[in-house]
Amino acid sequence: MKIKLRVWLKIPDAEAATVKNTLRRRMGYEIVLAELGKERLWSIEVDDSVQDPMDLARRLARDLVNENKESYRASVDSIEFEEGYVPVKVGLHIEDGEAVSTLNRLRNRLGFDMVKGVERSVVWKLYLKSTNPEKAAEEIAERLLINPHKDFYEIVT
Amino acid sequence: MKIAVVQFPGTNCEHETLLAAQSAGLSGEIFRWNRPAEELSDFDGYLIAGGFSYQDRLRAGAIASKEPVMDTLREEAEIGKPIIGICNGFQILVEAGLLPGLDGVNVALAQNVMVSKGEIVRRGFYCAWTTLRHEAPSKRCCGSFLLEKGELVQMPLAHAEGNLVTADEKLMDRLNEENQVVFRYCSEHGEVDDEFPVNINGSLENIAGICNPEGNVLGMMPHPERSSFAFQLPPTDSRKCTGDMSAAGPGRRVFESMKRYIEVRR
Repeated sequence: MKIKLRVWLKIPDAEAATVKNTLRRRMGYEIVLAELGKERLWSIEVDDSVQDPMDLARRLARDLVNENKESYRASVDSIEFEEGYVPVKVGLHIEDGEAVSTLNRLRNRLGFDMVKGVERSVVWKLYLKSTNPEKAAEEIAERLLINPHKDFYEIVT
Repeated sequence: MKIAVVQFPGTNCEHETLLAAQSAGLSGEIFRWNRPAEELSDFDGYLIAGGFSYQDRLRAGAIASKEPVMDTLREEAEIGKPIIGICNGFQILVEAGLLPGLDGVNVALAQNVMVSKGEIVRRGFYCAWTTLRHEAPSKRCCGSFLLEKGELVQMPLAHAEGNLVTADEKLMDRLNEENQVVFRYCSEHGEVDDEFPVNINGSLENIAGICNPEGNVLGMMPHPERSSFAFQLPPTDSRKCTGDMSAAGPGRRVFESMKRYIEVRR
């Protein structure tokens, strides 16, 4: 089973603001892009024998989330995104050194033996005014959000 | 001969880069990103200095690559003027598609991953002295115009994202065949080893610097401006000089090459 942790800043997200400004002021999306948000997404594969995955999610969040500045929401196996935006998931298709280190830390230093794998990605939440928002989201992903030589993207439906 | 040292928000090496260029006989000024871009045309060449433009938001170089000054630099490159991007400047040139300059974005400078004996031994930001082997023929590239093939130069590096990767399986063959690989990381004796610490950031084929097909645009991760004076060299280097503060260090050759390239092009 996979525990999903959606993590976002509760203080202003300067990176999201910069990406929004670049798209609107430099790349011609001032009308199409109404708003933009960002979340980090941890997908943590754990042993199927775990009895209370939501309790485990809370314990994992103590390491993966800084609650002084971040909030999170946990779910198991699937994620339901809210209405109103197109979620674009961006991750590495090359080896993710931070995910490897996180897995090693959780298992070998913090004692989470039940953790089998860790994947890390970013979800860009694009609030679009377009007759075809998915196509606009694809274009934005390919023009700015990814470098295809290291990143992949997926419109999460 | 007047060059512009392009500064974006977060650039932090503009002053020493200008000083290094001046020590090689170039004159110039720091050119802030929000000046009218067309004013760039008054210059004979361009240095994009290192640092953390836009705090490396999204990924290193991605935001700066969309600034209007980059459109002007692209036009100036097309008419043959030299551009050298150092560290973050290299990342910006890659994201702008100016390097390796084969139509579109052809490579990425990913997070450093240091590998030894099949295991990741470090990752992320790293700062160290390194030796570079000049791989291109002499006069191939604006930033190594005066260097002979095989010549070794020492300079420090300091970055988190310098690991050159590509999804194009044929790209490396092309870069090698066209002599677009300008510098590789090597041992102090010039041997190329793809293991850390010689391959200091995990970069494909130990690549430290590449140029475009025409040779007038160079990007490199190490910092030549940080070894342009002999006093900047580490204490272990016998060439280190603390008396004559103007004595040249190995990195100055990059700026002297740029000067010579501009002279020849005229």
